[in-house]
Amino acid sequence: MSATPSSSGGGSGSSGGGGGPCGACKFLRRKCVLGCIFAPYFDSEQGAAHFAAVHKVFGASNVSKLLLHIPVQKRLDAVVTICYEAQARLRDPVYGCVAHIFALQQQVVNLQAELSYLQAHLATLELPSPPPPPPPPTLVTPPPLSISDLPSATSVPTTYDLSSLFEPIVQVQPSWAMQQRQMDPRQYGGSCSTSTGSGDLQALARELVHRQGSPQHGSAPCADASSPSMSK
Amino acid sequence: MNSRCAACKYLRRRCPSDCIFSPYFPPNDPQRFACIHRIYGASNVARMLQQLPENQRASAVDCLYYEAQCRVQDPVYGCAGIISLLYQQIHNAETEIAKTQAQIALLIDSNTQEQQVYLHQNIEVESDLNILLQEQGDEFSLLGPPNQASSGFI
Repeated sequence: MSATPSSSGGGSGSSGGGGGPCGACKFLRRKCVLGCIFAPYFDSEQGAAHFAAVHKVFGASNVSKLLLHIPVQKRLDAVVTICYEAQARLRDPVYGCVAHIFALQQQVVNLQAELSYLQAHLATLELPSPPPPPPPPTLVTPPPLSISDLPSATSVPTTYDLSSLFEPIVQVQPSWAMQQRQMDPRQYGGSCSTSTGSGDLQALARELVHRQGSPQHGSAPCADASSPSMSK
Repeated sequence: MNSRCAACKYLRRRCPSDCIFSPYFPPNDPQRFACIHRIYGASNVARMLQQLPENQRASAVDCLYYEAQCRVQDPVYGCAGIISLLYQQIHNAETEIAKTQAQIALLIDSNTQEQQVYLHQNIEVESDLNILLQEQGDEFSLLGPPNQASSGFI
């Protein structure tokens, strides 16, 4: 399986052996021992760069402790998501990946408002003597989202599609509010950068997941890898 | 004020007057620092805060706490689980919107067709009435007024 450092395929970093240090040990400039916990996930070529981000944000020992408490078959997913969070934090030192979460949450709120309006409209049409359609709801700007409005980890589903991590943030606006509303993650404060959909993160995900042959990597993100892809 | 901040209490050290943690880790919330420390470590957090302007540090700590909580609750996916959930909610909402729009379009279309049928029927009735009146008028002119004798006056 992919956990063995010497498995062929995709250039996984080896540990001990004759293959040289893994990317993590290369970065840390230490001997890559047999059974190195990082070796299956950070190859000696680009793994060092990815590990650099992880090390800067989380620290090697924290990540090692985290991985040790995770079953082996889940460690690849954990590494992918840790790398994602680390990269997001380096790109946006204030909000990290929470910027992405805020943007998505706002999108959910907008869509739910649009759905409510349409359902009310439908209800009026279904009446025997339909009155005129309701006017579009008054555009009361909802209060900006705060951390407490975000979902908690206890409400997540049990299956994940990691490719969704790296989709560009698409600003879907309700048709009746197109002219008035602008979803601007910056309203959540400060310099919220929207780089979490960048081509680098997508390349990272593809690299890590394809190397391990994970079946969880579904359809490739559609963003252009050559340019930052915050959809406007 | 001799009370140490939650970070220095956790780290069992003296809390200096310029402690970088103290504005963001009040002593009445020990869990906040404990959770962040578990995932990031004190030195990483301190370095991250030092690299930020002061007016952005509170937001950064809030976000770090949120991410750390997500990671503690879900060690494999962390915030990615939340992102996945939100994408799912977006997809569901978009599907419902499309369905509702289709239903609305269908109802509007059927209402329009009913109106057209109604109007068309009205036009037909009117046309029939006109023909009938015309026919009656013709008969009237041929037969003359009903109370006259029919021995013509040609």
